[in-house]
Amino acid sequence: MAEGTLSWERVQVEREVETVSRPSLSYWQDAWIRLKANRRALISLYLVIALVAFTLLGPFVWTVDPAAQDLDQISVPPGADRTATVVGDYSPWRGVTATATADDGGELAAPVSVSVVDQPTTNSVRLRWDPVPGAGGYRVYRNRYDPEPDGALGLPIAEILNPVNVSFEDRLDLKAETYFYSVVALDGRGRESPNYTTATAGVTRVITAAEAVEKGLIDNESDVQLGDTVEMAFHPLGTDYLGRDMLARLMHGARVSLFIGIVAPFFFVIIGILYGSAAGFMGGRADQVLMRFADFVVALPFLLFMILLRILFNVESGDSGIGPMLVAMVLLSWPAAARLVRGQILQIREEGYIGASRLLGAKTNYLILRHMIPNTMGVILVTLTFAVPSAIFTEAFLSFIGMGVAPPTPSWGSMCNEGLKTMLTTPHELIAPAAFISITVLAFNLLGDGLRDALDARMRATE
Amino acid sequence: MLLYTVKRLIQGIVTVWFIATATFFAMHGVPGDPLMNDKAVKPEIRANLEARYGLDKPIHMQYWIYLKNMASGDFGISFTQQNREVNDIIREHFKVSATLGILAIVFAALGGILWGALTALYRNRAPDIVIMFLVILGISVPGFVFAALGQLSVVEINDWLGFTLFPVAGWGTVQHMIVPSMVLGLGTMAFLTRLMRSSMLEIANSDFIRTARSKGLPVTRILRKHQLRNAILPVITVLGPSIAAITTGGFVVELVFAIPGLGRYFVQAVQQSDYTVIMGTTVFYGAFLVFMVIVVDVIYGFVDPRVRLE
Amino acid sequence: MSPLLQVNDLRVEFDTYGGTVQAVRGVSFSLDKGKTLAIVGESGCGKSVTVQSIMGLIPMPPGRITSGTAMLDGVDVIAEKKIDGKDIRGRLVGMIFQDPMTSLNPTMTIGDQIAETLQVHQGMSHRAAFSRAIELIDMTRIPEAAKRARQYPFEFSGGMLQRSMIAMSLACEPLILVADEPTTALDVTIQAQILDLMGDLQRERGMAIILITHDLGVVARMADEVLVMYAGEVVEKGGVDDVFYRSAHPYTLGLKAAMPSNRDDSVQELTPIDGSPPDLFAPPAGCGYFARCPYAMQACEHNHPESFDLHADHFARCWLHHEDCDVDAADVFRKISESP
Repeated sequence: MAEGTLSWERVQVEREVETVSRPSLSYWQDAWIRLKANRRALISLYLVIALVAFTLLGPFVWTVDPAAQDLDQISVPPGADRTATVVGDYSPWRGVTATATADDGGELAAPVSVSVVDQPTTNSVRLRWDPVPGAGGYRVYRNRYDPEPDGALGLPIAEILNPVNVSFEDRLDLKAETYFYSVVALDGRGRESPNYTTATAGVTRVITAAEAVEKGLIDNESDVQLGDTVEMAFHPLGTDYLGRDMLARLMHGARVSLFIGIVAPFFFVIIGILYGSAAGFMGGRADQVLMRFADFVVALPFLLFMILLRILFNVESGDSGIGPMLVAMVLLSWPAAARLVRGQILQIREEGYIGASRLLGAKTNYLILRHMIPNTMGVILVTLTFAVPSAIFTEAFLSFIGMGVAPPTPSWGSMCNEGLKTMLTTPHELIAPAAFISITVLAFNLLGDGLRDALDARMRATE
Repeated sequence: MLLYTVKRLIQGIVTVWFIATATFFAMHGVPGDPLMNDKAVKPEIRANLEARYGLDKPIHMQYWIYLKNMASGDFGISFTQQNREVNDIIREHFKVSATLGILAIVFAALGGILWGALTALYRNRAPDIVIMFLVILGISVPGFVFAALGQLSVVEINDWLGFTLFPVAGWGTVQHMIVPSMVLGLGTMAFLTRLMRSSMLEIANSDFIRTARSKGLPVTRILRKHQLRNAILPVITVLGPSIAAITTGGFVVELVFAIPGLGRYFVQAVQQSDYTVIMGTTVFYGAFLVFMVIVVDVIYGFVDPRVRLE
Repeated sequence: MSPLLQVNDLRVEFDTYGGTVQAVRGVSFSLDKGKTLAIVGESGCGKSVTVQSIMGLIPMPPGRITSGTAMLDGVDVIAEKKIDGKDIRGRLVGMIFQDPMTSLNPTMTIGDQIAETLQVHQGMSHRAAFSRAIELIDMTRIPEAAKRARQYPFEFSGGMLQRSMIAMSLACEPLILVADEPTTALDVTIQAQILDLMGDLQRERGMAIILITHDLGVVARMADEVLVMYAGEVVEKGGVDDVFYRSAHPYTLGLKAAMPSNRDDSVQELTPIDGSPPDLFAPPAGCGYFARCPYAMQACEHNHPESFDLHADHFARCWLHHEDCDVDAADVFRKISESP
């Protein structure tokens, strides 16, 4: 270091006695800044807002009636082909008759062949087969799966007791998919032969021009000609087992689920705040008695009270009981919030700044308003956020066991319950509502984590 | 410790009494008292009910009879099926539910402690990120979805193997028990993993771990004797409430897997409005849960000297 | 005689959200057998980080030792990879901490926690180690040692816990006892007892002590040598009398002025040091104390002060001691030191 450059001139350094390096922020400003820095929490917040918008505004955008049944499209998964070929009006089929060769007296054979006559459509599938010698009649089975290798023939769909009739026309609830028809011969006493022959029919969806007009798919019958294709009604998330639009049902179901998920926690947290702060303020004996009572309430069986409330609200089994569900949750869930608030109040009461404020002559009301409430708000908000997922779970659980929302009112829980029954064949009916529940719960959980980190440094998760 | 246990037991008995009383008055307080309302009750069942519950007597006598019955371990008779005793139902089906629940809670606790410790040790590295992602999923997915997925995967596994490794439904053998109890324990396991992880991390930053390191102890010894032991404490405290959650979750799993447990019976009773069975089963469940919480607290006392010795 | 512990140019950084904090910026010192070195300075000046990095106790990451050696017993304990059992911690260096209430494992008996050190380092059986632990507890003047050894930390008072910590840190008869603010969390009367105990044990065993504190009263009572740290640097070092009565750095003067005095003829007011330490995210190029120094000169702002030897083993980092400086440093410091 060149010492010649050193200057020994005294300087008076400008000193601020109280240096404030950052602008002073209110508690909420600070919390908001910290929340904004937490990407996961922020995404969750947007997700929650999006869900609320989905619930409130969704039905205005997607105006399909959630109760309307689209019988042409039942249990259709999202993205399925929805074209239909325009055909003429249905004309009856007279069938086919044939006589078998002489009976050789042995075991009844299977028909030599079974074939599909004409194009198989959703209107009708026409089958004919070769007569079996010695048969007294035939039975036709229909399956959506290949009967091989288990020999599962599926649903017995027709029984023909005249051995001369060797044809059958299936018009029962056909969908645009592949069916396996199996024909077995019956002996004179109606006993079934173990042998069968199977035919495969790839059914195409058809519609008559008149039907298309009736369903609002086209304006005039003259707009289409035979052989044209028209698009069936659009269901972005598919349909359920009654042909109802899943998206519309999810939107309406969200109302119930989110309503319960938000309103129930809101009320029981308020009760919890009142009860907990009362216990915390009174202290001593009163506090002990109040908290012991809260302990008892925690131990009360939730389901029993649900049932009783349903009786009280005059809800017959099988009906929807949103009211009883809400009341039961509020009546039995407040103790956790009460305990938390009481703990906070007790802790804050001992803080130095409360003593200082009291010394300066602050009145109790002022203390509560200025110190107690702002300092418990954070914990309360976090509790509220974490209470939402558990309330949504409870609603889903109750609807699932048939104690909550019952058909036809949709709720995510009851939709899951219905979807579960057809889980193996049409999983989308379970997956869609389950995904909505999971995403909502996930969003509220992550938001709760973020709020906890942002609002209360003492509660900060060590992550 | 003995004094503590006795104190907790007395508290527990008072709690059960409270549950029983609340149940009784709730049942009778509802307008159109379902027990007094004789529509749809067959006369022969009605006779049984009157004898058992003293329905012809004034309400305070009924309450007294009810308490006496409960105290002597008599949980009543069915409202819809003649001569069906709640005690028989419990005796027959509770074993199954308890086995399922115990397996589930053991699975959840061991898994939660293991995964929680592992994620904390691998904090912010691949195993932590992967497991915590699964944990978040586990917390956010409802139990009945797990049950459904469990059943689906059983079907798939059996298909793939070509023989029935795990039966899809029913109860009886060890194979029957594995999948339902895992499915039942999953949500709790996710919750416990999260708790264990944050507890491990908190302990890792604690002063006494620094002391242990300043003593030059080997890393494995610090982990075993100091960190794990203290990190497990909060996990044990929530085991009580977890048992309650698993009990309720058991209702669903029993329904989905067609397991003949008490939970399934209870849900059936609920759906058939069999009030006396609901009442008896509820008080039984309440007593069971209160007892389990006491057991957990006593176990906690053995692990944490601060509770044991005070 | 070569010193017991020789630390050279230790630098430690921490990565935080706000950037990298240079917590320790080139600290060197040595410690002789049987002597007590006090490290003083205000909170956040790097006292604890210095000894914790020598002991390998700073969490890495976010901590990082960027340079420096610490020779103990012929081995560089910073470079040396720790081998179980050969660890210097607990064996050659014992350590006690500020808050005895949280520094002991709540679920393990005091006796077991002391015995565990002996089991690990000296391969003793649990039984032998436990009876040695009872002797150690007895040595720290805790009554009914045998009964106490079977108790848990929550059954002890703060003072008792700190005694147990001392017993624990001395279990393997270390050469050095590091005491990180050992009395800060204790009552005043207990403080004196703990300090007495430490002094007595030091005389009996001839161990060296590194005492971290911001209590100059404790320093005056215990220390042979004093290291004054400011903003991650040593600003003055010397024998206890030199530093107290011939203070050579304005910061040391500031610390002294801020200390209550119990001389009954003193009516002097306590003078706080205005302002706060510099931001260690971007340490100033010049003297760290520039912004708070009442004697600040133009040279101090951008030129890092060199270390000026004043007497034997007494130096200070302050431009006032530069020979070209026209302010008579000796005059300044004498005047301040000897006024009232």
